[in-house]
Amino acid sequence: MLRDIIFVTLLIIIALALSYLTYLGGLGDLPPQDIRLIARSYLNLTYNQGVNWLWAASPEAVTAIVWDYRGLDTLFETVVFYGAILAALTVFRGVSKLPDRIVSVGLSVVVKRTMAIVTLAILTVAASTALHGHLTPGGGFQGGAIASVAPLLLIVVFGKQLFVEKKVSYNKLLTLRNASLGLLSLSTVALLIYGLATNEIGYIFQNQAKALSTLSYPSHMLDVPLGGTLFFLNVFEFLAVTSGFTLVFTLLLSSEEVILKEFEGEEYGY
Amino acid sequence: MASLLEWTLVLVGQALITVGVFCDLVASISMLRFPNFYTRLHAATVGSIGGAFVPIVGVALVAAGSEFLGVYRWFLSGASLVIAFVELLLAGAGSHALARATHRSRAAPVQPVIVDQLEEDRGKGEV
Repeated sequence: MLRDIIFVTLLIIIALALSYLTYLGGLGDLPPQDIRLIARSYLNLTYNQGVNWLWAASPEAVTAIVWDYRGLDTLFETVVFYGAILAALTVFRGVSKLPDRIVSVGLSVVVKRTMAIVTLAILTVAASTALHGHLTPGGGFQGGAIASVAPLLLIVVFGKQLFVEKKVSYNKLLTLRNASLGLLSLSTVALLIYGLATNEIGYIFQNQAKALSTLSYPSHMLDVPLGGTLFFLNVFEFLAVTSGFTLVFTLLLSSEEVILKEFEGEEYGY
Repeated sequence: MASLLEWTLVLVGQALITVGVFCDLVASISMLRFPNFYTRLHAATVGSIGGAFVPIVGVALVAAGSEFLGVYRWFLSGASLVIAFVELLLAGAGSHALARATHRSRAAPVQPVIVDQLEEDRGKGEV
């Protein structure tokens, strides 16, 4: 009873303190009512065909900011993610080479059939999130995160040897991940390389044609906005994230005796 | 002016949402009050089918009858029906997996029981 009274009193005090601070402006300035200059230029230019030396050719301004205006920032984020997965793979490098000794038949047939239907649904949602990243909210990373739920559930429901039977090996996933990251990097410098080869001006992270450069990624495909680099970057990011997460999941869901080999000797302190 | 069909869709949809609220309430009370694992599993499934599948179908009907939403009502309605279908599949499969795993690992006493054919089959070595 005393606990409840203290809990409620604390909640009331926190609410009052927060509202007092907000009233005083103590949490910083209140958000301005008018749109700031940089936001106004994003809104005016992102899909403005009249100023097509400054536009990003994408109706979705967030993706345009993430992969075009602030593309370098997102590239470094991708590198950080790449490094994190790489660290996980390095710690468990011994596990990846050992054949797993789990022989499981998975869950019952009811769960397996349901999972088969749901896997299709998950992959459809993931693909639409990634491929429409330049049209609707979403993008490569979000699509990849959704898609990597499917292999995780498949391993749990069908058992780990499903991937062995379907020949989805560690090396193939690693190759897919590295290839998509390579293509991602290549598509950021493709116009620069093309410009150097043909003696024209091209830039790093160039999407559409600029005032000094006529080189450009296609802005439309079959009269649907394509967003130039945005579409390609989203697709490669999607593949890289999906394969990266799948790699880590397959490693971490190895059998106990295999994974414990990595921790051998810890009871002696070395 | 909304037609009779649209009014009917909205009213039936709202009735289904009300059923959903009732099922959620019943499920949460029985989750606390039921005596053991298998009866509580029943309460959980009442919550996920009666309290989630039924009201989402209701939302689909309400959206289909809401003329002021324009063409977007079909997007809302279709998305709700897909979600309801997935929910219907997953809720049943989830409870099944929980019950089966619990039965096999003997993590909870099988109560209340009238006949346990899974146990009989396992005794014969068939499962």
